[in-house]
Amino acid sequence: MKNFIFSFLALLLLPAYMSGQAIKGKVVDSSGMGVPGAVISASNSRTSTDADFDGNFTINAKEGEILKISMLGFDAVSIAATTAPMTITLKEAGDTALKEVVVIGYGTRKKIDNTSAVSSIKSEEITKMKVLNASQAIQGKAAGVQVSSSDVPGSTPSVVIRGAGTALGGRNPLYVVDGMPTDNINNINTNDITSYEILKDASSLAIYGTRGANGVIMITTKAGKGKMNVEVESFAGFRTPLKTVKMANADEYVRYSNAAFSGAFPAGRFSANQPYNTNWLDEITRTGSYTQNNIAISGSSENVKYFFSVGNYEEKGILNGSDYGRTTIRNNNEFKLSDKVKLTQNMSVSTIKNTPMPLSAFTNAYRQSPLVPVRYADGKYGVPFISNGVVGETGESFNNVGNPVAQLDYTNERQQTLTLQGGLKLDYEIIKSLKFTSQFNGEFYTYKQYNYVDNVALWLSADPTRVQSKYPGDLNVNTLTRSRDQYFNWNLSNYFTYNKVFANIHDVEVTAGIEANVQGTREKLTIDRKNVNPNADYWSLKDVNVASSVTGYKDEALNQRRLQSYFARFQYKLMDRYLLTGTVRRDGSSQFADDKRWGTFPSVGLGWIVSKESFLSKVETIDLLKLRGSWGRLGNQNVPLNTQTFTSGLDYPFGSGTTINSQVDPNLSWEIVEELSGGVDFELFKSRLKGSFDLYEKKTTNTILNVKPYSASGITVAAPSHIGEVSNKGYEIALRWDDKINDNLSYWVGGNFSHNNNELTNLKNVQLSPIIGGSLGNGQNTKILDNTSVGQPLGSFYMYEFAGIDQANGNMLYYNANGEKVVQTALNERTDKKYVGSLLPTSTYGVTMGLTYKNIDFSVDGYGTGGAKVYNGKKAQRFGGENIEASTARDFWSPTNTTSSNPAPSNVTPVASTYYLESADFFRINNITVGYKLPLKDDQFFSYCRIYVNAINPFITQKFSGFSPDVTGDGKLVEGTQGVELDAYPSLRSFVIGANLKF
Amino acid sequence: MKKIYISMFVLSGLLFAGCADDFLDVSPTESIPVDPALVNSDEGATGFVTAIYNQFLGWEMSSFGWNAVSSIITDDADKGSDPGDAGGDKDIIDALTYNASTPSFESTWNANYAGINRCNQALEMFPKLDKVTPELKTRLTGEAKFMRAFMYFTLVKGYGGVPIVDHLSGVPISDADKQMQLTRKSVAEVYTFIEKDLADAIEALPEKGAYVGNDKKRVSKGSAYALLAKVNLYQKNWQKVIDNCDKVTGYSLVSDYSLQYKKEGEFGDESIFEIDGVGTTATPGFGIGNYTVSQAPRGAGGWGWGFNTPTKGLADAYEPGDVRRAATIIFRGSFLYDGREVPSTVANAMYNYKAYSSSFYNVEFTDTNLRYLRYAEVILMKAEALNELGQTSEAIPLVNQIRKRAGLGDTPFTSQSDIRKAIYKERRLEFAFEHDRWFDLVRTGQAQSAMAADGKTFIVGKHELWPVPTTFLREAGGLSQQNPGGY
Repeated sequence: MKNFIFSFLALLLLPAYMSGQAIKGKVVDSSGMGVPGAVISASNSRTSTDADFDGNFTINAKEGEILKISMLGFDAVSIAATTAPMTITLKEAGDTALKEVVVIGYGTRKKIDNTSAVSSIKSEEITKMKVLNASQAIQGKAAGVQVSSSDVPGSTPSVVIRGAGTALGGRNPLYVVDGMPTDNINNINTNDITSYEILKDASSLAIYGTRGANGVIMITTKAGKGKMNVEVESFAGFRTPLKTVKMANADEYVRYSNAAFSGAFPAGRFSANQPYNTNWLDEITRTGSYTQNNIAISGSSENVKYFFSVGNYEEKGILNGSDYGRTTIRNNNEFKLSDKVKLTQNMSVSTIKNTPMPLSAFTNAYRQSPLVPVRYADGKYGVPFISNGVVGETGESFNNVGNPVAQLDYTNERQQTLTLQGGLKLDYEIIKSLKFTSQFNGEFYTYKQYNYVDNVALWLSADPTRVQSKYPGDLNVNTLTRSRDQYFNWNLSNYFTYNKVFANIHDVEVTAGIEANVQGTREKLTIDRKNVNPNADYWSLKDVNVASSVTGYKDEALNQRRLQSYFARFQYKLMDRYLLTGTVRRDGSSQFADDKRWGTFPSVGLGWIVSKESFLSKVETIDLLKLRGSWGRLGNQNVPLNTQTFTSGLDYPFGSGTTINSQVDPNLSWEIVEELSGGVDFELFKSRLKGSFDLYEKKTTNTILNVKPYSASGITVAAPSHIGEVSNKGYEIALRWDDKINDNLSYWVGGNFSHNNNELTNLKNVQLSPIIGGSLGNGQNTKILDNTSVGQPLGSFYMYEFAGIDQANGNMLYYNANGEKVVQTALNERTDKKYVGSLLPTSTYGVTMGLTYKNIDFSVDGYGTGGAKVYNGKKAQRFGGENIEASTARDFWSPTNTTSSNPAPSNVTPVASTYYLESADFFRINNITVGYKLPLKDDQFFSYCRIYVNAINPFITQKFSGFSPDVTGDGKLVEGTQGVELDAYPSLRSFVIGANLKF
Repeated sequence: MKKIYISMFVLSGLLFAGCADDFLDVSPTESIPVDPALVNSDEGATGFVTAIYNQFLGWEMSSFGWNAVSSIITDDADKGSDPGDAGGDKDIIDALTYNASTPSFESTWNANYAGINRCNQALEMFPKLDKVTPELKTRLTGEAKFMRAFMYFTLVKGYGGVPIVDHLSGVPISDADKQMQLTRKSVAEVYTFIEKDLADAIEALPEKGAYVGNDKKRVSKGSAYALLAKVNLYQKNWQKVIDNCDKVTGYSLVSDYSLQYKKEGEFGDESIFEIDGVGTTATPGFGIGNYTVSQAPRGAGGWGWGFNTPTKGLADAYEPGDVRRAATIIFRGSFLYDGREVPSTVANAMYNYKAYSSSFYNVEFTDTNLRYLRYAEVILMKAEALNELGQTSEAIPLVNQIRKRAGLGDTPFTSQSDIRKAIYKERRLEFAFEHDRWFDLVRTGQAQSAMAADGKTFIVGKHELWPVPTTFLREAGGLSQQNPGGY
């Protein structure tokens, strides 16, 4: 209070101090542009002022008095006042934690004053990787953040922050794009992003409450600044598979298959001279290409900042016929309505057109025999028919694999997406230290798709002897599926921010507000039709007999989800070095039962900037040393929900019957994660060496799994319930060395390493409904989560242990529960399977290095993982007559080669075993960039021109014998095919050439 | 400036309006939730009981596995089919070498408890429905209790004491309910529970004659008395058997034994509790899943899987002139009543005629019915009880009623022990392939000798009870024990 009175008096008495004169000047940046908003203070005169829009200022100060000029993003300057108009040049600040500002929930904070673990990725890092989705670009760049991505055009990378804590719930982080919470950022042009920040620990995440458990990624898009500026970036590149698997050729196939079929065909099934030798992978792929063109116009005037951009991305995928295109338009404006009121508006439109192709074509190409031609001489599609030992148009079928080229030729699917995202934000400075912010954001999404199947053509392509006139009349000529999908989500938050320094040592910032979030009803419409006109223009159902054309009609409305929240954060800094952050959020969710819908998520963070203590201030090598620690509780509301429905259709001659065959857990709610973490940030040797080290322990205390009712309950449907405990423990190290040798040469070297131990630590004493996953599509499964999984990581593989080849007959042998080597028919599914590792890596690491020499820049980024396993699912698929890998075809067990590591040729579907489980460890160079900045003179039309060449994923070292060890599959950790290579899209190597222009 | 403040107030107003208490009350649109209001009608309540009857159309409840554990296991039937086709576990059940993991014992357990759940769902739903005609609600309650008693009777006959699950449980399950679902009760406790349900059913159900139309297929007061008599029979409460048999009124023996197993003989005057399969070639169908086709002639000229075939011992047990033999057994190389030929090339010598359907002989959903209680059984139960109480002379005319309908003369026997044997034999022939033989053999103590006559070894002290499924014991974790005999 004393301080308050003092301030008040000071304010009243202020004019009395104004005994100086008006000092005029201009604040400019290194390019001579005015710096609006720079703060000029005269400490003796106790006056201060802001520079105007052009950087001009007038301040009452005495001549010779030291003026301090400061501005966010620039190094502060102190200079003596002169009566003559002054020109003060501010130098842009280097990236040290001392000055860096990070975006945190509902505000920003100087990084040094932050008690939490936040990884900030700058826009240059994101645009350097020429990828569609910004998350793919950050792979390997942030410690503790594991990104796996597939190179399928338009795919969404999976991002796991500090380990997976849930088995059935959602694992994706929450994205907050300019204040709008969203699930996917495929609609955001990477060139529009100015900052990408990953909130990793409970101290920073608790402000997001029930959506914070998987981490939050804050994305801020660009705003205009200064004179009108036009930026153009264009690039074009081509893409090829980074690694392919060499398959057996016709001769090798014949030799292997004759051995495999020797039981039924002692004389040999295939003759040695075959008319065809097809490399199926070559036949279904092409060299992919992609281009991106962006233009952005930005700038600012006294009261308006504007940013406008248009971007277009086009990709021709490596799989024949797959195309993807995205166009984005963005407009961000900021209006200064008065000295106290600022209105920010942003709007983004994104349209995506996609022509996907079935990825199973890769598996079919892997499996189809090289003896089969793409087409016969008469133009008919090749099929695996054999007659007298030679492949031809007639005869008996020797495998059941389709022709992958025909498969692609007859795929006719289109997808179209439109996403509109926009928001309005009002900042009102009520008094100097109190600000009110109101922000509304909305997202509208609409999707339409069709899939047309020409059944006659497929029927004909499956057998060259067929003729169209014989097509069975009771079958549909063609089928068509059309679907629509749309939703509207909105978010409204209102909050106050109060910031004041008391008695020069107590720096207090308080943020408090409320938020409402609605994820609108997602409406899906699917119509199945038959025998339509082949021309897509004639698919309207106007005047069409619906009964004879429509075979299915599904109109779904997913539940609306609402969230109502109160949040507050208290940030306190004592003597510029002792930090305390406390946050609390209270969330109410419409998804849970009345008495289970409200939850409170607190966190507390502490920090100590040790380097500001007197005992360290003299130590020159240490520029920064900061310790931090935090504890907090987070929620994951993206979990399975209670759904208890009537089971109907249980009819009897009296009428229709209904019962209930499920139970619900009335206590079902969100999953709760508690995290304890600590870290240290440091900058040494004149801030040339920067780094941080973090330790954390995250515990999901109530993981949801499906409980199987006891048999005597008579209920067969399992119910989700809180019964598990998952722990993630790990550490993260990040180091970077930057140095400038002279004005012409600077360089950096950096890296990060993260280790995470994931474990299902506990299960309540209930009976789980086993989650069986990793299906190979042939009756074999590779993953399980049930009562026996305690102590294992999530995503564990569960299968038989391979025990080698029986040298006597070439059979594969497996260990049974007693450790004896047995053949697969002697295995017991219940007792002999083992846990053999997880698809989740225990460590990930990234390296980066680069230099700029005069106008040339060069950088290399690499990424690797360790400790994960990958299952070679496509290799484990042979059941008869399919192709094999060249390595197998060249070395297999035979009476004359009894020591081979490959078993005798066989047509028996092999059981899932460690024979096919391989190490997923890999290290990949993600990006090599070389750029050259043209030396331009000021009077030229272009103010900036840089030409660059990128090599994306140029090299990989991997132990895995398949296409890509970074297998996301369907992205489902336990129940899905993540970690199993089947229908896999290869990782791609891309070479790109492009240019950045400014004028 | 004013405008800005106004718009700010509007924005904030939006949020505060949103923060009203009902903001979070969102009606689910994705799927229709379980809300009693949606079934609060006569039709809705009836549907809950219809679902119980529907359980008897299930593959697990009434078809392949059930045939194994109630029929193939006996001296009346063999596994059948081809020697190489075990039908999963039918070979070891036929040979009495099964164990606790044998699937058919598990599926029978699960199917009956699934049916009991449907009864419990109905019984717990009814009190919440206030718009149902009270008389209807009473009747439906009676039907549900009859059904629950019937399924517990199957369980207790097969497994001995089982957990008595008489109400629904929550998630997570309470300790008391966990005990309930996992603890085997004594045989006596199960019988007491069944008798209580049947007493309630008798109270609530109408006489058969009060039903009209399709409702005649429902269980009635007579059905409940008949089942109660059978429950008394298994406990050797002879006087109660007689009393309850006497209360089964409004039924009579039909003159043509074989007619009962044909479409036109369904739900005849003799039928007390019968499961009504509706044949169809469409899916889903409401016939007993694969009941007919799994027992139909196999191999060249056949149309089925050929399981559950009559034994020579059964075929030889009939006296000359017994019409029941031809109504029960299909012989290789003969013509069926509808003219269909069973060529001499089929795989097995005999097949189960009672499973045959003329119209749906080779499809999944057959119109074959299952007859669980017939008036003939009421007569024979009463005869047995009278004989056991020493009133042999009163029992003999009842036995003769059955023999007469079968085309046979009066029984030549007069002594109590001979009449006892005669009654046992009539039961075997009268109810062959009607899923009664195994329980009857065990109940009457004939099992060991009958199995020996069929060339199988019945271990006394073991085979009287089926093994309880391993899956259940694993769930029970010590709360329940396996049946004796070293399963």
